[in-house]
Amino acid sequence: MLRTALAGLRAHRLRLLLTALAITLGVGFIAGTFVLNDTVQAGYDQRVTADAAKVDVAVLPKGPDAVLPERLLERIRALDGVTEAQGLIRAPAPVLGKDGKTAGNAPTTALSIVPGPLDRTDIVEGTGPGTDDQAAVLDENTAKAQGFRPGDTITVLDARQREHRFRLVGLLDPGVDQELSYTGAVGFTAATAQRMTGAKGYREIDVAGTAPGLKQAVAAAAGGAYVVKTGGELATDLARAAGVETEMLTLGLLMFGLVAMMVAALVIYNTFNILVAQRTREMALLRCVGATRGQVFGSILLESSVVGVLASALGLLVGYGLASLTLTVLAAVDAPLPTDAAVTLTPVTIAAGLAVGVVVTLGAAVLPARSATRVAPIAALRTQAEEQTFRAGVVRAVLAGLFLLAGLGTAAAGVFVLPPGQQVSLVVVMAGGALTFLAVLILGPVLVRPLSALVGWIPARLFGVPGRLAVGNSGRNPRRAATTTVALTIGVTLMTLISVVTASTRQTMTVKLDEQFPIDYALSSQRLDAVIPRSVATELRGRPELSSVVQLREARVTVAGRRLGVGTYAGPIEPSLTAGSMKGLGPGQAAVDDDLGFGLGTAIQVRTPEAGTVRLKVVALFDSAESPLPQVTVAEGAFDTYFGAIPDTRVLINIRDGVPPARARAVVDAAVAAYPTVRVASSTEIRGQFDETLDMLLMVITGLLGLAILISLLGIANTLSLSVHERTRESALLRALGLTRAQLRRMLSVEALVLGLIGALVGVVLGVAFGWAAIMAMLDGAVFSAPVGQIALFVALSGVAGVLAAVLPARRAARASIVGALATS
Amino acid sequence: MRMNVTLTPAPPAVVARDLSKVYGQGDAQVHALRSVNVSFATGAFSAIMGPSGSGKSTLMHCLAGLDTVTSGTVHIGDVELTGLSDRRLTMLRRERIGFVFQAFNLLPTLTAEQNIRLPLEIAARQADQPLFDRVIETVGLRDRLGHRPSELSGGQQQRVAVARALISKPQVIFADEPTGNLDSRSGAEVLSFLRTSVRELGQTIVMVTHDPVAASYADRVVFLRDGELVTEIAAPTPQTVLDTLVKLEA
Ligand SMILES: Nc1ncnc2c1ncn2[C@@H]1O[C@H](COP(=O)(O)OP(=O)(O)O)[C@@H](O)[C@H]1O
Ligand SMILES: [Mg+2]
Repeated sequence: MLRTALAGLRAHRLRLLLTALAITLGVGFIAGTFVLNDTVQAGYDQRVTADAAKVDVAVLPKGPDAVLPERLLERIRALDGVTEAQGLIRAPAPVLGKDGKTAGNAPTTALSIVPGPLDRTDIVEGTGPGTDDQAAVLDENTAKAQGFRPGDTITVLDARQREHRFRLVGLLDPGVDQELSYTGAVGFTAATAQRMTGAKGYREIDVAGTAPGLKQAVAAAAGGAYVVKTGGELATDLARAAGVETEMLTLGLLMFGLVAMMVAALVIYNTFNILVAQRTREMALLRCVGATRGQVFGSILLESSVVGVLASALGLLVGYGLASLTLTVLAAVDAPLPTDAAVTLTPVTIAAGLAVGVVVTLGAAVLPARSATRVAPIAALRTQAEEQTFRAGVVRAVLAGLFLLAGLGTAAAGVFVLPPGQQVSLVVVMAGGALTFLAVLILGPVLVRPLSALVGWIPARLFGVPGRLAVGNSGRNPRRAATTTVALTIGVTLMTLISVVTASTRQTMTVKLDEQFPIDYALSSQRLDAVIPRSVATELRGRPELSSVVQLREARVTVAGRRLGVGTYAGPIEPSLTAGSMKGLGPGQAAVDDDLGFGLGTAIQVRTPEAGTVRLKVVALFDSAESPLPQVTVAEGAFDTYFGAIPDTRVLINIRDGVPPARARAVVDAAVAAYPTVRVASSTEIRGQFDETLDMLLMVITGLLGLAILISLLGIANTLSLSVHERTRESALLRALGLTRAQLRRMLSVEALVLGLIGALVGVVLGVAFGWAAIMAMLDGAVFSAPVGQIALFVALSGVAGVLAAVLPARRAARASIVGALATS
Repeated sequence: MRMNVTLTPAPPAVVARDLSKVYGQGDAQVHALRSVNVSFATGAFSAIMGPSGSGKSTLMHCLAGLDTVTSGTVHIGDVELTGLSDRRLTMLRRERIGFVFQAFNLLPTLTAEQNIRLPLEIAARQADQPLFDRVIETVGLRDRLGHRPSELSGGQQQRVAVARALISKPQVIFADEPTGNLDSRSGAEVLSFLRTSVRELGQTIVMVTHDPVAASYADRVVFLRDGELVTEIAAPTPQTVLDTLVKLEA
């Protein structure tokens, strides 16, 4: 039996090749994800290990904002066995870009670069500051984004917003530190770092020493208020923190890998089904000469497992290649990930890749193998393989109906019953989507014929006889056609869903921004600090180019035990209230965000710097999503009493109608030119950034789904080439009757076109419907928008892709000699 | 349009001169046809006979432009087939040649009527409705027109195939063992139908067969042996055909 199975493999080499490719791609993607994850993780480990080797013991404060006092450093230095101890400063000090404004979206983090063996910074160009208090180093990305080179002079703000100039002497690589990658880093000598940031202590004290029990000694000196770790422990913790994001990414990628494997499973299932149907006589002959059902079953499974093992092994190599390629690309674009570790296929990756590939292949082959065992020995004597007949049974209809009902019901519950914006609602909608998809899967064979008549209506008229024959052929084997197209449907559904969700998110945001924050410009600082001199708003109010200027002041203080923003506003705002009234808001009264859970009429305790603890009565609740107010809003006069005359936190500006935006912008820019921390944002810019983020997301997801689509196209090519093989005689007959080679090719292309369009059409319907449901479940007050152009493009591309998938099978069919084909039986 | 009924003897519909066909190369060479010279008269029912493997099908394929020849020439009417491009050959088959094969003659997705009209549609030609009606009447398939091949008996399928060959009024119809898969009664029906179409419609038919009874329906029988044309008889009966065959095998 083994020999028969292997002979079968050899005989169907070409046809199995496409199947194997489907598995190889799926396994390749999954293995590639693992390899990528391993490599990045190894990179983190390498770096932190190298760093940690320098440190024997590290002392850290408890809590994110706490620091270590200078006294502690001195006490540790005095310990026996400590050869060296250094305190590290780490606090914001905004670097100014060439435009004189604070660079980046967050204040740059200043670091102290300590001399000697405890220095852990990675200087990649130039030198460190050494002992030069006038020297600074920048991280590579900030330097690149702002166009600074070593030798340039850079300006940095100190804690009181005063400008200081430094000579840029080198560039550093922030390494695995996610925070530094986000904020950017500027390195100084310890003294300068202290002077610039006004830091009251250290974020970390690193200790080098040789004495045994050094950690215990340091811990004893530090007391219980601080965390003391060995270098090794520090390394492990740093690597883990850095790896968390990688793990999320890996999980996300694996989801796409699973989708791809699902599509591959459908393709394999279909291929084996067709192969079994075509080999009915061969199976029957085996049974005639005495093979048992079990042996026939086994031979098919054996065949599939050989395909599975070979394809998965190849997939591992593909994964290795994919990961190496991705790492090269990531390194080229300076992604904040370590890409320099050796790329390795770990045993875990190999085992997982092989297991997934083989299990999916075997699983997909079980049903076809079972149907092979049903072949009666007598079938060997029949001359022509019977056309697969298909009738829509009652069981199928009932089952599909139940799934459809359950799916649509679940999705409707997610949309209409559950509150929007909650994760549960989205999960419920997606579950409904999965159930509906199952219904479509079951109904597929029933749908194929009417759908092929529908989408084939134009091709049948456009392409004459070949077109009409093709449309007939596409619905000829409903089960086969359904499986082939469903594979494509999966990819198209997800793509459509994603594009509907992004378009709707965009639309919803636009509508919300327009309705609720009809603001043209907003002034603020990087960290929403109160830094905008009140004179700025006063000056702007006097400008004829602007129609309205709203000032917002805010301070973060303790309110009823929580840190909240307490503030006030001046200018025309229409807060959207959910309860109470803000008319005549007086001292001792407050309007609060309704999400905070304070009831109307309750009194809240607020600790203020100027008036001590005050009691405020809640007289109004507002919807924070629709009003740009501080969480706890008090009257202006009251705010001054509580907090003093502090500067504005935000200023919201509208242009007068008819004034060109460029002129208004110039006015606003001029008013804040003297204040480097004040940033001007325009609503179009905000929208632009938002759009960019969405576009990027859409592109990445579409790219990742592309794999599933590619595999489903392999499926179309496979089905078609198997059908072509099956219809060799028929093609020869048509050629004898006067069909030209080109017409025969066209016939197969149209068949593929019809299959592609059916898959795409079903996918688009599902994608739009569940995209709508998803966005309704995801966002409160969502506005639905279907990107018609994009969706039309998906449909058109699916058709084109189908035609491309038909190129090779069609060529093979057209090349065949008529006489040779007539001779085959 | 090519069915010129004249009183002077019409030129032959198919002529083969010095026709040779060699399959394979070197040791594996098979001379399927050796310098065959033969012509088939317009408006006649001719049969090609010979033992299995004598080259009957090969001869038919070469005459019909389905296969290339090794040497020699083939003419259908005034057109020489040898050297024509695949496209020209396809056009020629569309316009001048009809086929009836031993089996798998029909497209399973089409009804009987659609199968019959298929050659006309491929050639984008209008059906000659009186001819269509007459052919359907003669074949006796009027109540079967809407059926698919799987719903027809073997004999009915072959009759549909013959009707399809007739409908485009080809210069010649080639039939390769058209009754090879039929029981004798269905076979007889198909054969008499073929003869009727020669008598009444003036159709030219060349039929390959190894069955003496089938050959006896023809006006003339030519005999092949080992790729060579050895003899021929006119106005055959099953007995004369059988005698000739026996003589050939001896
Ligand atoms: N494609 C081919 N390749 C090699 N030999 C062939 C091929 N087709 C036919 N032959 C050989 O040519 C000879 C004539 O075959 P054929 O015309 O089919 O005979 P018939 O139809 O009279 O039985 C036979 O010996 C056959 O084996
Ligand atoms: Mg033959």
